[in-house]
Amino acid sequence: MNDELAWVLQAQRGDDEAFTKLVEEHQTHVYNLCYRMLGEPEAAEDAAQETFLRAYQNLHRYDQSRSFATWLLSIGAHYCIDRLRRRKLSVFSVDQENDDGTSFEIADSASPDPEAESVKREERDRLHILLKDLDETDRAAVIMRYWYDYSEIEIAESLKLTVSAVKSRLHRARRALAGMWQEDEHRSPRARRERRVHESPAF
Amino acid sequence: MNHQPFEDWLLNDKLIDPKQKLELDAHLRVCSYCSALAETGMALRSVKMISPAAGFTARFETHLATRKLIERRRRLWGTVLFTFGGLAMLMWIATPYMASFFASPATWITSLIEWGVYLITTLQAILQAGSVVLRVMPSFLPPFALMVLLSAFAGVGLLWSVSIWRFAQRDVPRGV
Repeated sequence: MNDELAWVLQAQRGDDEAFTKLVEEHQTHVYNLCYRMLGEPEAAEDAAQETFLRAYQNLHRYDQSRSFATWLLSIGAHYCIDRLRRRKLSVFSVDQENDDGTSFEIADSASPDPEAESVKREERDRLHILLKDLDETDRAAVIMRYWYDYSEIEIAESLKLTVSAVKSRLHRARRALAGMWQEDEHRSPRARRERRVHESPAF
Repeated sequence: MNHQPFEDWLLNDKLIDPKQKLELDAHLRVCSYCSALAETGMALRSVKMISPAAGFTARFETHLATRKLIERRRRLWGTVLFTFGGLAMLMWIATPYMASFFASPATWITSLIEWGVYLITTLQAILQAGSVVLRVMPSFLPPFALMVLLSAFAGVGLLWSVSIWRFAQRDVPRGV
């Protein structure tokens, strides 16, 4: 039996310390998902805390044949989707969000070229902004696919969708991202052209 | 412009041979859409994990303790309200019978029998009225009205079952 399962079993028996270990183990995964879904650090912190609280309250429902991380991410993704839907109905604009640096990106210590790293970082930031314009469920699917390397089957299980629905959502999201990326290029072409590399990705 | 098969390769992260790579590179030079698709693909593949600010677990422990306290208080208030509410209702129902409570056992038994007889006769009256209505109604109502009535009853029944199911599921968050 691995450590994680042992902690889950202890937590199911009411051991709060074991659950704290699970929180420690999965905090980055859950927080990152919430941050990518909601786009701002404060909301991500709230959502990640709520995800763990919901997991704690429903620990008796956890099916041990599933991965605990997938179960947690499933709770987090659904919570964020619901929150985004509620936010859409509210009068306040999502554009008012700001990053105040309460979270930080894990530094890539293996990066030999700071300039290339800075370009990559800029592209990631751009992508992060574009993600906000995707449909909530499409966004969750993209995050699970590219940040967590989940297979289409795992995404389908987590988001309660069929595999073909996941596939079509991923394609739709990639097309939408490309469209928005293109529009963004047209808005500030010169700056982008300088660093645009016309080569296929490394397959 | 025809984006196939390049769009398919890019969307499905297909493994391509050197010849196909050359073809793709040539297409990307002239097609801004596929170029954007390739760039977003690269950006997605170079994504990084974001960590929460330090002390996340400690903050979780505080949240959990607060949530437990709220839950405990809510349960306590629920129990108090339920107990006192139940007692008050019992008192309200029992007050008219308080006098007979202090009477002789013979009076108790008489009251009990009277109450039983009242209950049985009321039930019989309701059943009789129901059977009369059922016998008489078809002659008053056309068949389609009966169908509508039955459908309405079925609809209400379904709504009732769904409401109970939703009520039972209200505390289970999605994704659990």
